[in-house]
Amino acid sequence: MQMRINRVSLMLRGRPVLHDLSATLQPGRVTVILGANGAGKSTLLSCLAGLRVPDRGTVLLGEQPVPGMDPRVRGRQIGLMPQRAEIHWDVDVETLVGLGRMPHRGRWGLTEGDRAAISSAMAATDVTALRQRKALRLSGGEQGRVLLARVLAGEPHWLLADEPLASLDPAHQLDVLDRLRDAARGGAGVVVVLHDLTHAARVADEALVLKQGHLLAAGPAANVLTPEVLAQAYGVEVHLARTADGAPIIVPVRRIA
Amino acid sequence: MNNAQRNGLLAAVLLLAMLASLLAGPVWVSPSDWGAGGLKAIILFELRLPRAILGAAIGAGLGLAGAVMQGFLRNPLADPGLFGVSSSAALGAVISLYFGFAASALLLPLFALAGAALGMAALSLLVGRSESLILFTLAGLILASLSGSLTALMISLAPTPFATAQIVNWLMGALTDRSWADVQLVVPLIVLGAIILAGTARPLDSLTLGETAARSMGVDLGRLQWRVVIGVGLLVGASVAAAGIIGFVGLIVPHLVRPLVGHRPGAVLLPSALAGALLVVLADSLVRVLPTTSELRLGIAMSLLGTPFFLALLVRMRRELT
Amino acid sequence: MGLRPSNACAPAARPPTQRARTLRRVAPLLAGLLCAGVLAGCNQRQPAPAPLPDHPRRIVSMNPCADALLQPLADPARIAGISHYSQDPRASSVSLEWAQRFTATAGTAEEVIGLSPDLVIAGPHVALPTVEALARLGIPLLQLPVANSVEESLVQVTLVGAALGEQARAQALAAEIRAAVAAAAPADTARPSALVWQGGGLVPGEGTLVDDLMTRAGLSNLSRRHGLAIWGVLGLERLIASPPELLLAGEGGDSPDRMLQHPATARLADAVTTGSYPGQLLHCAGPTIIAASARLAEARASLRP
Repeated sequence: MQMRINRVSLMLRGRPVLHDLSATLQPGRVTVILGANGAGKSTLLSCLAGLRVPDRGTVLLGEQPVPGMDPRVRGRQIGLMPQRAEIHWDVDVETLVGLGRMPHRGRWGLTEGDRAAISSAMAATDVTALRQRKALRLSGGEQGRVLLARVLAGEPHWLLADEPLASLDPAHQLDVLDRLRDAARGGAGVVVVLHDLTHAARVADEALVLKQGHLLAAGPAANVLTPEVLAQAYGVEVHLARTADGAPIIVPVRRIA
Repeated sequence: MNNAQRNGLLAAVLLLAMLASLLAGPVWVSPSDWGAGGLKAIILFELRLPRAILGAAIGAGLGLAGAVMQGFLRNPLADPGLFGVSSSAALGAVISLYFGFAASALLLPLFALAGAALGMAALSLLVGRSESLILFTLAGLILASLSGSLTALMISLAPTPFATAQIVNWLMGALTDRSWADVQLVVPLIVLGAIILAGTARPLDSLTLGETAARSMGVDLGRLQWRVVIGVGLLVGASVAAAGIIGFVGLIVPHLVRPLVGHRPGAVLLPSALAGALLVVLADSLVRVLPTTSELRLGIAMSLLGTPFFLALLVRMRRELT
Repeated sequence: MGLRPSNACAPAARPPTQRARTLRRVAPLLAGLLCAGVLAGCNQRQPAPAPLPDHPRRIVSMNPCADALLQPLADPARIAGISHYSQDPRASSVSLEWAQRFTATAGTAEEVIGLSPDLVIAGPHVALPTVEALARLGIPLLQLPVANSVEESLVQVTLVGAALGEQARAQALAAEIRAAVAAAAPADTARPSALVWQGGGLVPGEGTLVDDLMTRAGLSNLSRRHGLAIWGVLGLERLIASPPELLLAGEGGDSPDRMLQHPATARLADAVTTGSYPGQLLHCAGPTIIAASARLAEARASLRP
């Protein structure tokens, strides 16, 4: 099922934040949302998750408008990893990851299916060794992986992540990018807000570039992640390169006057 | 010991405590007196038994309300009184004492319940549809402050020192001489409140991740808020109607229980109810057997228990922080 | 959090106003609460009070003023229990050595029932649950209101005497009280102003027993001029602005009253005669009136230069 953004506009506190955005997102592909600070990336992600209702236009999952969906059904289909990591109680990692099964759970305890999903989510993010540890005592990076595991445990059809690489060390950043790609390969649609251009280039199949709430460019990553578009989006001159084995590198060089 | 075993143990200890409370008091009743009829049987069945049941129900209600409040506000030091409903219930009762409505002993609890209902209505009008926790806490504060001031006003306007003493005495909280009539009025309301709050366990769990993540999983936070207000209002209103102001149970009990159940908010609910019931039943038995000239007011006993608890908490926190 | 469309282009019907939705949620709950309360209330039949016995043999008193009536009117053998206040010298209105002979209760139904009484005498401020508990268990209860005048007190003496079956002793006590009040009446027509001052500025006014006693002892209670109700608090300023000729300081212990120790009141020493008025004399009517009247007459006499 596709996700379609249909002429979405949104005002927040009297200011226009999103202008008449339209795009189509395909399942099984990783779409990266890029843009300068304040361009509207997180707001757009909230609209995709059904947490904000656009003033004009709508977001459709298949044929269904996302805001109108039954919240539980929506919770099963769409998983969101918010930007701010919040853990309010001193629970252990396994319990925290288990919270991701909430949209699926019946009246009583965890089923075999629930337990399997939790285990595989923990394995995928390499936190199985931490399962008995208290989540609040973990390092920032470990917490980040645990919170991603929570979203994965819900086995969503659409995985939305808002800057999931913050506070991760390079090894784990690459791991998370790999997990996102695995999720897409498994059939889920993945939409990620990233601010590092090299990471974006590494993981993106498609890209949406926002500038001040307008859609600057949309399409396959190779077409969008070009110096011209990025100069317009960020106001910087970038240098594109490739490593010896073909991995892309995008480096900002200098501000454009 | 897993959660189910622990809850079973708590329930068993509670039952034992209730049986013990039937025996304890200025007049000691031994198990052999139960069937014998006569004075001691009267004391047992008309005074001690309703009192034990009422104490357990109120303790369970306050413990549960405290657990839900702490989970909902994501604050381990939240107290059911924060909504201001206990203050407005107390105001209702004080008004009935002030105007001397003495047609029936049941009139005072009815006034207290009316006060609680008005308090909940006022809270809902103040908060409206907003889901902001700060707004909520502020509205509760306004309500508590207003009710508290009006209560103090009533006390100061009391016509004779005896009336003042009567009001102040009632406010300090007690289960003395309560009857089956009180049980019939209050216990159904507590059961209703408990049923309403039992369903909040899952949404409270989801709030561990914060509001955004909870909403993204399909949790209706607006509906949760109203279940919490109505459920806590019922439990607190009923307990004030029966026994005056009994503090600290809602604050201490969930706090003590939480580390034992792994800190998951939903898992704290049932053990808090059981442990709250146990605490009140034990405290009530204690005030009956202490060799003070008049029976120590239950609310005072709870306050006396609460202070060393907080002291211990403070000492432990200082140690952890250094 | 902008969750709802805020401009006119929002599709579909208008949502109900915020107030309507809130009321719709809360109204059923309020209605339910009130119904529950009314039903529970209607289901309770008031327990009918038990009739008083002719010659009670096990009398329990829950009130120190009732104890003060029991002392002259009842044989000790018939008294099963008294109020714990009577065993506390600061609150007692009976002699301690008499009081210590009996079991004392704090006034809960449980303790009272444990003494197997056939008559319970109490004051007006017993908690309603306790009153109903006694009625439910068929224990006769005689509740005495606060006596606010000598006449009301004499009526109570007769009432209690009848309840105990000791009419003769009651008549004798009533005669004693009348005689003491008459003896305290002054020979002259002067009516010096006076105030009884309890700790913290609490002053008894018109409609209290001590006000009646003061009038009969030839004193004019200045509380009327200050516009105080039955019991009121009089600030130091007003006391100094119009001081009485006789100030009776009524605390029961030797702890000096903070307000009367104020430097401002030292200035009053020339215009005002102070006398002591023990707090015990303010607690009860009945036999206490005898000592109270004597004290008032004595204080008035100390005024004459």
